[in-house]
Amino acid sequence: MNNPASNFQNIYNQYYILVYNVALNYLQNIEDAEEITQDVFVQVHHSYYNFNEKSSVKTWIYRITINKCLDLIKHKNSKKRRFVFGKKSQNESEYLNASNFEHPGILLENKEKSAILFDAINQLPENQKTAFILSKIDGLSNPEISEVMQVSVSSVESLIFRSKTNLREKLSQKFEAHRKKK
Amino acid sequence: MEKENWIDEVINSTGKIAKAVPDDALFSKIQNRIKKVETVSPEWIWIAAASLLLLASLNVKLVFSKSHKEKSSVERIASYVSTSNQIY
Repeated sequence: MNNPASNFQNIYNQYYILVYNVALNYLQNIEDAEEITQDVFVQVHHSYYNFNEKSSVKTWIYRITINKCLDLIKHKNSKKRRFVFGKKSQNESEYLNASNFEHPGILLENKEKSAILFDAINQLPENQKTAFILSKIDGLSNPEISEVMQVSVSSVESLIFRSKTNLREKLSQKFEAHRKKK
Repeated sequence: MEKENWIDEVINSTGKIAKAVPDDALFSKIQNRIKKVETVSPEWIWIAAASLLLLASLNVKLVFSKSHKEKSSVERIASYVSTSNQIY
């Protein structure tokens, strides 16, 4: 650690796209993803010296990003509940009803389908959603996901399997609506 | 069959996803936030110092008034014992 400023810049250059994309996949909102990217790097800057290197920097940054995303979703949901009297939801679909979200990195011909997919992903329980995004969209291996989520590899496999089963169920319900539209 | 194909297509629709790139100004925004956190304005330093001083003076006052009270109650008991415990 000779020059903390240049070290921080190196970490930023190495991981800012990763952080931004995880946040974007998780929150499906460009402004929120930028906000989370800022929060993550401010925290990285403050706690880098306390980082105990039990895990890799990449895993550590992934973990911070996912926790920040979950915090933001919870914060927005609780803010919403203060004004709207209603039942507390089991997942974050209350905040994330972004069924028309169009990911900037998705091919034009896949935009409509990916919007349907993101809408279905938002209805998954928190840990299934995390496992699915990390595996299917970010392309992490199961051992990497187990490190990020701090669960065993077999738990990750089970989460991914259950997330896919749930998604297929939700998508089969959406299929009828899709066919009627056609 | 049509349904299953459609579901597979939807699930694989993020397959060729390209990484999105954030705004170029993001790094300078982060640096500004870090600087803001690191530099505490002198007003807040004065407010914190004044609060500490006030707290310390209140503590000193409390300690003195307590010891004075204790002393007076001891005196009161002593005077009571001396009057009621007379041998002669």
